[in-house]
Amino acid sequence: MTRYILRRLAISFGVLFVGSFLMYILTINSGDPLEDLRQSTASNRDVLIQGRIDTMGLDLPWYERYWGWLTGVAGCFYGACDLGTDQSGTDVLSMLQQSASATLRLVTIATFAAIIIGIIVGILTAIRQYSGFDYVVTFLTFLFFSLPVFWAAVLLKEYGAIRFNDWIADPQISVLQAVIVGVLLGFILQGIMGGDMKRRLFTAGATAVFTIAALLYFTYVGWWRSPALGPVIVILVSAAFAVGLVALIAGLGKKRVLYSTLTTVGIGSILYFALQPLLAEPNWWLLLGLFVSAVVVGLVVGYFWGGYSRGQAMALSAVTATFMAGMTFVDHLVYAWAGFLELKPRPISTIGASTPNFQGDFWETTLDWGTQLILPSILLTLISVATYSRYTRSSMLETMNQDYVRTARSKGLSERTVITKHAFRNALIPITTIVALDFAALIGGAVITETVFGWKGMGAMFREGLTHVDPNPVMAFFLVTGTAAVIMNLVADLAYASLDPRIRR
Amino acid sequence: MKIGTMGKGVALFAASTLALAACTSDSGDSDETSESPTAAATSEAATGSNDDTILVSVGEDEWAGYNNMTPATYSTYNSVINDRVRETFTYFDEESAIQINEEFGNVELVSEDPMIVEYTIAEDAVWSDGTPITYDDALLTWAAQKFTDGENEDGTPIQLFDHVGGIDYGERVVEGPQGEAGGKTFTVEYTNPYPDYLLTTVIDLPAHVAAEQSGVSLEDMAAAIEAEDIEALRPVAEFWNTGWLSPTPGELPDPAIALSSGPYTYGSWEAGQSLTLVPNENYWGTAPATGNLTFRFAAADTHVQALQNGDLNVIEPQATVDTLDQLAAIGDAVTVGTYDTLIWEHLDINFKEGASLADSQELREAFAMCVPRQLIVDNLIAPMNPEAGIMNAREVFPFESDYEEIVSASYDGRYDEVDIEGAAAKIAEAGVSEPVQVRIGYNTPNPRRTDIVALIKDSCDQAGFEIVDNGNADFFGVDLTAGDFDVALYAWSGSGQITSGQNIYASDGAQNVTGYVNEDVDAAWDALTSTLDPEAQKEQTIIIEKTLWDSLFGIPLFAHPGVAAWDSTIQNVIPTPSQSGIVWNAEEWVR
Repeated sequence: MTRYILRRLAISFGVLFVGSFLMYILTINSGDPLEDLRQSTASNRDVLIQGRIDTMGLDLPWYERYWGWLTGVAGCFYGACDLGTDQSGTDVLSMLQQSASATLRLVTIATFAAIIIGIIVGILTAIRQYSGFDYVVTFLTFLFFSLPVFWAAVLLKEYGAIRFNDWIADPQISVLQAVIVGVLLGFILQGIMGGDMKRRLFTAGATAVFTIAALLYFTYVGWWRSPALGPVIVILVSAAFAVGLVALIAGLGKKRVLYSTLTTVGIGSILYFALQPLLAEPNWWLLLGLFVSAVVVGLVVGYFWGGYSRGQAMALSAVTATFMAGMTFVDHLVYAWAGFLELKPRPISTIGASTPNFQGDFWETTLDWGTQLILPSILLTLISVATYSRYTRSSMLETMNQDYVRTARSKGLSERTVITKHAFRNALIPITTIVALDFAALIGGAVITETVFGWKGMGAMFREGLTHVDPNPVMAFFLVTGTAAVIMNLVADLAYASLDPRIRR
Repeated sequence: MKIGTMGKGVALFAASTLALAACTSDSGDSDETSESPTAAATSEAATGSNDDTILVSVGEDEWAGYNNMTPATYSTYNSVINDRVRETFTYFDEESAIQINEEFGNVELVSEDPMIVEYTIAEDAVWSDGTPITYDDALLTWAAQKFTDGENEDGTPIQLFDHVGGIDYGERVVEGPQGEAGGKTFTVEYTNPYPDYLLTTVIDLPAHVAAEQSGVSLEDMAAAIEAEDIEALRPVAEFWNTGWLSPTPGELPDPAIALSSGPYTYGSWEAGQSLTLVPNENYWGTAPATGNLTFRFAAADTHVQALQNGDLNVIEPQATVDTLDQLAAIGDAVTVGTYDTLIWEHLDINFKEGASLADSQELREAFAMCVPRQLIVDNLIAPMNPEAGIMNAREVFPFESDYEEIVSASYDGRYDEVDIEGAAAKIAEAGVSEPVQVRIGYNTPNPRRTDIVALIKDSCDQAGFEIVDNGNADFFGVDLTAGDFDVALYAWSGSGQITSGQNIYASDGAQNVTGYVNEDVDAAWDALTSTLDPEAQKEQTIIIEKTLWDSLFGIPLFAHPGVAAWDSTIQNVIPTPSQSGIVWNAEEWVR
């Protein structure tokens, strides 16, 4: 196995080298780096041109320029990284660090959301194959997949930012609006839940009534501008999550697992109150520590309750603990919304990664980041959810038609067990490849999304480098994305081998 | 059945959460009132500025450093910010005319022959660290454009200071500024008359910082400049070339070295996002009206929606028809201003051997007759700037006050209307076989230029030309310098200089790419550049314009339109064609 990995790495290294060479040659021949200066009538034009020739080494032959870049990169192996400077003398390495961090912030949430939503939607459409729900989702995913990003971004800014901000200044929802939203949600939900006519009607009716009541009630009490969740909701929702999770994965019959997750919720409730003063002004390290300890608590509870289903109890309790930690986090964020609106009356921005000179406490700053992220994240998620849902759907359908699934059904297992235990797990194997490759693409950023939302990420760096015919930023982009692609490819192969015993040699 | 009971459970659960959510929302309300006082920031009463923030964007390019005098950092994106931080003796007003900045000091032409200019720095003018702005700063500014250190392989001298102006200033003013160390008055003597003397930047960077940072005393540095001691100046040049740059985005330079001599100074910089200017507390003049001026680095096509959403308050987006429609759709909340920029489009006729219009004045006239200039402006420019017209001059812009006078004296309007028959007659007169092939070269991709060529083709092909669209991505790199075109279509961006056109139209001008030779034009340029009298300059400009029209050097088309828009609650925003951009008077903006 080690030999295999080493061989793969060596080949990848060669591929990267050849790729970098091609990329460099293509970039420096992609246009005229002096174009903007040639049209200038300024008296110092010649000095400007000479200056740029000197900074970019335009008077050197191509192989010397490439060699210069290559030796700079070689320095990375002994800690003297030099990726050169761009045409205005900015250090590309520090540019790269900032671009990469911006890109990671921008696309991580979108990618995770796309994976989770895509897989859930894929499974649901596979289970309800050829239903109205399936057709609608298929239509929508293809629609989103083919959206022109530029146009969609403009629409999203118009409705998600400008109109929303106008609305939040004085949030009103009329009865008619509430009814429309409620009926629509009810209609969608009955499609997902399925069943006979009576059950569908019940689902739709209950959802609609609940939604209408909620919308009107929230508007009436002014919840939109000063919302709060409070301990009762956090605990209730977490408990409901725990029960639902157990019902879905293990079955409510496994009392020990159920008790284990509920105990976790209980401990979480105590911690919810105990940690209030600590969470008033936290920092990210503290939150990370609390998150890790939440998972540990879950594992420990699962270990002691577990009995015969120790593994499952530990896993589900840990997931429950994670969820509850997340709920507590959200609770604080929601609580900070009113103060945040005071600082930033128009909360959703159309450009930028953060509000310039924003001064709020930890929660308000986090909200600021969140509100800046929300539009680009929605856009990126919409576009990439299609791939995941379609792959999951077809992979799921394939496994559902396998003999062993029929066998599992015929020996009397419940539909839940058949789907979660036998079909779903095997359907996930081909998805790993896509997920791994998508993570590689993630580092490359989303050129258009970054531009239209004013983020200076990897995509923007690549694009600007290319516009200025400036090889150094382009090559820095190539180095990172190329390496990521090569490594994630390897990871995908290894993951595949470990997940599917049949292809292990 | 099992899921059915669960569904009911979910409904019950949902109803209860709804009820509970409302109970706790009150706490949010009470919290809101208690938190609001913390939002108020501390005001900077001392400077007289309010603590408001105005957000502006001029593009997505990052700020590159305090010293924007090096070729790498010399860009409008950099100077729009630095101009607010470092003032100097002159500035461009809203008509792109140069004005003396009386808060900084005074400039006076005391003698024409020899040409001596006297500069007086305001008594209380100081750098933001409290050090007075003096003659020493002027001396370093000059030295940075004076000294060379060795030669390149091809024999061109290497500058000691990597100054973007080259050694032009040093050659024009051989002796350097004359004054006393620490003095507020100095004189500059030009070897030859120099009409653009007001554009010379005589003070840019703080000399005492350069001296201190390179480990010499101010006196020693001045002495070294006096003695032209390259060795002694080398550390100063080293600091000048690198010490004032900011290669790492987001790290503002040390306030002790990046001194301000203007209303604002650097406040904060978020890499890739924004740079905020705050009032310079040691500024002696009028404090800026608004306390925080934030430049956001955002792509031009995001500007309109950002303005509508309040993410930007003042924008200068790309002037397209769509942009204007979008801005108009926002309504009264924003004010839109359209104007002509200093960038102007023109057709240049190639006079080099082998070019199809080179040898025949008749053919050139025929071409000029059939180019539909009014149609080009009506179709491509008027939608953006309804007041736009054809440009009939090269050295003055339509918005300048003496444009009418110069045009009426140099051009009789003979090419304003398309005259197909006249053009056909001229071609017949030239006695060449039809159709006459004319290759119009320009750089691609540029949809507007493609449209212009298509319009010319529609019109001129009727007269007996065969217009060939020779658009090429390599036009500037290859075709233009090699002379491989019959007519070149591109734009010059004006710099506000009186003398810069000599480079283009004089027979041996460095930017004369068409091989145009005309003794009258050469003589007029020589006369223009050697006089300091504005009336005499205007006379020569008229001669130049008239000769260029008569011999058809080329055909000016139009000035590129510009669009600016701002939040209507902000007062004193005035668009300008000059390179200073919309922010030229940002210190007066106030809400």
